[in-house]
Amino acid sequence: MKYRLTNSVWRVLFVLILACGAYTAQSEPYLAVQLGLKCGQCHVNPTGGGLRTTFGDLFAQTVLPANHLDGAADNWTGAVNQYLRAGGDLRFDAAVTTAPNTRSLQQFDLEQTRVYLEADVIPGRLLAYVDEQVAPGGALNREAYVLFWSASHDWYLKAGQMYLPFGFRLQDQTAFVLTATGINMTTPDQGVEFGWEHGHWDAQFAVSNGTAGGAVTGDGKQYSSQLIYVESVWRLGLAANLNDQSGGKKTAYGVFAGLRTGPISWLAQAEVTDDESIANGQGKELATLLEANWLIARGNNLKITDEFLNPNRAVPNGEQTRWSLVYELTPIQFLQIRTGLRYYDGIPQDNSEHQRQYFVEFHGFF
Amino acid sequence: MRAKGHRGGSALVLAVCLAGCAGNGKGLDQNGQPIVSGGASSGAITADFQSIQDNVFTPICSKCHIGASAPEGLQLDAAHSYNLLVGVPSAEDPSLLRVKPSDPDNSYMVRKIEGASGILGGQMPLGETPLPQATIDAIRQWITNGAPNVATASASAFAVQSTAPADKAIVRAPLTHVVVAFTQEVDASLVNDSTVILERVGESCAVDGVDAAACGDEPADNPTKVAASGVLAPLNPSVVLITPSVPLAAGTYRVTVRGVGGGAMANLNAVPLGSNASAVFTVESDQ
Repeated sequence: MKYRLTNSVWRVLFVLILACGAYTAQSEPYLAVQLGLKCGQCHVNPTGGGLRTTFGDLFAQTVLPANHLDGAADNWTGAVNQYLRAGGDLRFDAAVTTAPNTRSLQQFDLEQTRVYLEADVIPGRLLAYVDEQVAPGGALNREAYVLFWSASHDWYLKAGQMYLPFGFRLQDQTAFVLTATGINMTTPDQGVEFGWEHGHWDAQFAVSNGTAGGAVTGDGKQYSSQLIYVESVWRLGLAANLNDQSGGKKTAYGVFAGLRTGPISWLAQAEVTDDESIANGQGKELATLLEANWLIARGNNLKITDEFLNPNRAVPNGEQTRWSLVYELTPIQFLQIRTGLRYYDGIPQDNSEHQRQYFVEFHGFF
Repeated sequence: MRAKGHRGGSALVLAVCLAGCAGNGKGLDQNGQPIVSGGASSGAITADFQSIQDNVFTPICSKCHIGASAPEGLQLDAAHSYNLLVGVPSAEDPSLLRVKPSDPDNSYMVRKIEGASGILGGQMPLGETPLPQATIDAIRQWITNGAPNVATASASAFAVQSTAPADKAIVRAPLTHVVVAFTQEVDASLVNDSTVILERVGESCAVDGVDAAACGDEPADNPTKVAASGVLAPLNPSVVLITPSVPLAAGTYRVTVRGVGGGAMANLNAVPLGSNASAVFTVESDQ
């Protein structure tokens, strides 16, 4: 006999799962803060990003959107069969970008289409995972690894190509805190990662080539680590990175925190970097981010972000800032519409530091 | 309700207070670098490498493409950009050179900054306004002119700038080419097996578990000359390409450029290196 679960039943199941703290998941860091959950509860990747877990898929269909369109089939859980799960993200933008003394740009842009595949070869213990960008342009592998979980799921070992752990894994890959370290979702690296998850604590340590996807040119390695304490309404994390290459060492230290105050979820991150491979002390950067996510109503989120970058701590007067105001509407499951503006400010003599960006983004995901 | 409103307002005020301010730019040039007394300031971009470096690579590209963690290993600061661009295959699409002298249409870098179809990843500069058409035109013209590195040639003494694999590097077998980049154009008639020497100097450290010290500058084993041909790269006369007759298998190798004695390696003005230059690297088994 075949059963079809109604949407309300799915919601009850979702709440039960949430209450039990068992099979869980999340999407963006602010959602993790909003619900007091770890990133790995909504994503197959314990450090966040990419394919959603079953919990994450159900959350995205039953709790995240303003409305739920009933379809003919059961809710999507990504399951292709008993062992295979699939997912994807598509982002399409319409944007206008202006800068002083520069022609403005108005364009439609297929930002990215990504396909995820997870093979649970030993369910709950051993999985193989692939994150492939299939458009625009040719296929580009982002992540490909095998991950082994301990029986109690309190530690794991990951090996392959992966995003490195360092602070919040934000959606906007051009955020100052992501470009300053060079650790973001455009620069996966090949190596191994050990993760430890125990109660409120969450920790990762990774050793990788340190070439951000480029060819290996020496025997130096990159060491990335972070430690996070997660409470239901707040979290605090520390991150450190050392990239020990023959051309010079690069170090980065960061602190990041999340806090929920009523309907507003706050994210904050600050970091300093020191890259000895760059001449004249230009590698000494300071980057900060402060973000407020106001859940106005179900499916309606207003995001305000303030960023600061000192591109060279050894030289005064070169600081840059960026303000973003983004409204995120998730009208129905699998579809999000984001619209907003970004306001750059920097030294008067550099036009590129005075950009204005206005955009509408259609984000389809499953 | 009112209390909640106050809390929200306070939070916004806090956010504003925490916000830093943009710099006023005093004492900095248009790239954000300190103004050096007597230093030249870059003006409108022209179709030469130095101008492109000063107006594009340094202020825009090297925000991300810099240092040990540069995306795709492509460092675009002044010290590295030329030799990592010109005549070097793209990491994203190895069938294309990043900059193919005299052929901007088939230079992957041009496709990336123009956002052409077929590129992997996003248009460069990522997340920013595309480069002005005048800038792209200047880059195209520089490539059409043969992508010369005039500024470096006039400013630097003749020397080996870098090798690929780099000194003490570990790469995977098979290795089909060894690259030696010079600071100036090389006299092609002096590129032969007496000036560019490739030797096998030991076993693979990575494969055979040999002590790491044996992979250093002074390998202990007796060197064995490797049959190889060295030629000037047709697209970049500052680069010598060494092609072993058989791709290099696992082992430790040394590439030496002889800079002294009769027929020593010299530039187009017959200025020799003045000393020998060498790099030792390890090829490990691809298993």
